[in-house]
Amino acid sequence: MRKESREYNYDWNLWTIVENASRAYDGFEKEYQHLLSLIPNFRGVLEAFVRHGEPGILFLKLLASYTRNCIQAYAEGRKIAASTFCFAAPILYAFDVQPLILEPWSVFGTVILQRGTGEFMDYCCELGFTETSCSSQRGALGAYLAGLGVDIDFIICDSPGICDTNANSFSFASAYLDIPFFQLNFPPTLTDERARRYHRQDFHSLIEFLEKQTGKKLDLSRLSQIIEHVKRQDELAIELMELQRLIPCPMPPIYDLFLYSGRFLMSGTSEYSELLEAMLAVTRKNSRLGIAGTTSTREKARGLFCYIDHYTTDVRFWDWLDSHEISHMGSILYNFWQADNPQAHSKEEQGYCIDDHSLEGMIDSLADQVSRMPMVKSIRGPYDAPGMWLDDTLGAASLLKTDFVVYIGTMGCRNTWGMVKPFTRDLERYGIPCLVLYADAFDDRIQSWEAITDRMDEFMKLRRIGAH
Amino acid sequence: MIENFKQVARSIFNEYVEAWKKSGKFVVGYPCTYVPEEIIHAAGLLPFRLRGIGISSLSVGDTYFGPVICSFPKCVLELAGNKKYSFLDGTVMSNGCDSMRRLDECWRKADKDIPGIRPGYFHYFGVPHKVTDYSLQWFEEEIQLFIKSIEEHFSISVTDQDLNNSIKLYNQGRRLLKQLDQIKIGEDCRITGEDALALVVANTAMPKETYIPILSGFLDNIETTCKIIPGRKRLMIVGSINDDLDFFKVIEDCGAVIVADSMCFGSRTHHDLVEETTDPVKALAKRYLNHAYCPRMFGYYKERLNFIKQKVVEARVDGVILQNIRFCDLHGSENGIFVRDLEAAGIACLKMEREYGPLVESGRVKMRIDAFLEKI
Repeated sequence: MRKESREYNYDWNLWTIVENASRAYDGFEKEYQHLLSLIPNFRGVLEAFVRHGEPGILFLKLLASYTRNCIQAYAEGRKIAASTFCFAAPILYAFDVQPLILEPWSVFGTVILQRGTGEFMDYCCELGFTETSCSSQRGALGAYLAGLGVDIDFIICDSPGICDTNANSFSFASAYLDIPFFQLNFPPTLTDERARRYHRQDFHSLIEFLEKQTGKKLDLSRLSQIIEHVKRQDELAIELMELQRLIPCPMPPIYDLFLYSGRFLMSGTSEYSELLEAMLAVTRKNSRLGIAGTTSTREKARGLFCYIDHYTTDVRFWDWLDSHEISHMGSILYNFWQADNPQAHSKEEQGYCIDDHSLEGMIDSLADQVSRMPMVKSIRGPYDAPGMWLDDTLGAASLLKTDFVVYIGTMGCRNTWGMVKPFTRDLERYGIPCLVLYADAFDDRIQSWEAITDRMDEFMKLRRIGAH
Repeated sequence: MIENFKQVARSIFNEYVEAWKKSGKFVVGYPCTYVPEEIIHAAGLLPFRLRGIGISSLSVGDTYFGPVICSFPKCVLELAGNKKYSFLDGTVMSNGCDSMRRLDECWRKADKDIPGIRPGYFHYFGVPHKVTDYSLQWFEEEIQLFIKSIEEHFSISVTDQDLNNSIKLYNQGRRLLKQLDQIKIGEDCRITGEDALALVVANTAMPKETYIPILSGFLDNIETTCKIIPGRKRLMIVGSINDDLDFFKVIEDCGAVIVADSMCFGSRTHHDLVEETTDPVKALAKRYLNHAYCPRMFGYYKERLNFIKQKVVEARVDGVILQNIRFCDLHGSENGIFVRDLEAAGIACLKMEREYGPLVESGRVKMRIDAFLEKI
């Protein structure tokens, strides 16, 4: 790692950038415009959020709040748990534990920093990681393993049974740092009684682990407040998903990122509710006007990203969609499987409900919620089994009337690379044009963003998508 | 006798399987050491561990698997696609790791394009990634479902007595292989790693009733039939699956002898016995789930490190080779921390990435081993 990369802590560095960015628009427009001329390296990413108005600014404020919470956790007497995006954070907030979600931290680095997180990814390899391990964890983890971040107290991951390479990163970190490790482990099925019993027993075991690590008992009143927010956030997200079905889709493409990032980082908090409300207000307004959420207000095509999005510098992925008048119909990260969300219609058993009448009900609800998190629900079993990835993708494609499906992942994703060829072949058989990108969503060195856009442009042209 | 085992290890369809099939009995493949072979055996079937040796292209494997996947399941699928596994009447799929669990879908999809390559009995067997009372309970139920599916498909009945008999027989085989391990670690090593690997691989490709007496006879006479191997550096090998005798041969031809291992075609398979005095399903569940030496069991690093350290001491190992197949992040990354912790304990290590399948990179492997042996 270069000496200068060790000069500032990775998390502190990103926090100061995000904190300042979140305040950039608090003054007058003229001040903001002048500021842009002073920050040539950051104006692209700042503009990418600010130009979306209140939701974009609230998203920056949410990021600032989250990163600040991570930085200040020790000073405020809170423990820090490293975890993964597909773990539902509310239970950690209920214990007053600060979740340090590695993948979003990797996204912050790749999106904001001009040179991305390549050095930290490579540093993981210097310590022993395989270079083929998932970049989504390595991007941030390298910094933490190098001591360029807050100290992690313990690790919780919920990817065993879902994604080996994800679980492996956390297990590596636990062994390397010699800190406690807890895994939620998922069986290959979702809805049968055995699976449900296992989910709940495992979640109770997690609570015991958290009690041991924090020295606290689960606080019922605190949990109730968080659950109340979660319920409200679910309602807002479901309404957004309903509106997304309209043609043209009134939701701006980047709201996809806002929705899931906010949820991964601050589910159950008031900041996330506020962000969703602002997103919904804009989307409702667009729907009333009958216009698309793109900047041009037109919709040429509707794209479903069946796995994850691409996180190149300055969030250019969503800008590319916007400039091509493509509505984002979500990804695997976007659907949290609330039982009353439109994609769970007629398969409610695959979704979760929140029961806030008793402590036991709330705990079981959280267990059900975490077992339906992105990736956890859909790729735990064979991709073509009922309720798994193919079913879910076909359901989303049909409900949202998508014109095409794109697979973007990371080079570390054994789980999906193990079957993405037959998976996309099956989708094509259902008449859905599919593109598999041999790129890495977190690492432009694998395939540059420019090469990716060439491939996507070529795909759109060859398959005559949006040509009508 | 060793040559006989080597022939079995170097082929997929061997004379013992042929004889078994000729007698009208069925063969069921299994992918991983977390699948209880005793159940297949108790049903009167021959458990046969899936392997991928002897392929010369990956045209089938690469059609279904993506590019960044371990070559082992690709090689297995290649063999299946080329009808080299047509002698299987069934196979079990399992979530040993993500690459291996996707063999399930890829094999099924390939069967649609190349009809008949999928055995009639095709069962998915889930294995938890941690050991707790409730994961053990779930695993017991999974074993019960496995038994039921075999009974239904093959129209047979598996009794507790059948299971107990199989457990006893398999434990007998494990004890003999542990005895082989003791011979390997002795000061006067009488068997090369290559030969020992042949014995271990044959264990997974022959009827136990035939294998055990032959192995027992070999071990009884080893002092008279095998000479002491003098003056070689003593190595331990750790990591991803290897059933390729030539890989060990390249290492040993550099002037070393492999005296210990922590591999799934190796001591991981026979290190633990199944309890013989309790309910057989519970005993199998307990043994197979506590069999925590593969990094697929997340959070058990210290146990695995201690296992290696203990073996290094017992076998008076001069150096440890930590190898992984490319894209095997589980072994590959853990090997990285093993290097840190073993080197800190004064144990010389070599970390190496390789491909499964034909040994196309023997020159590179040889050069690295030579350098390592010079270092130690």
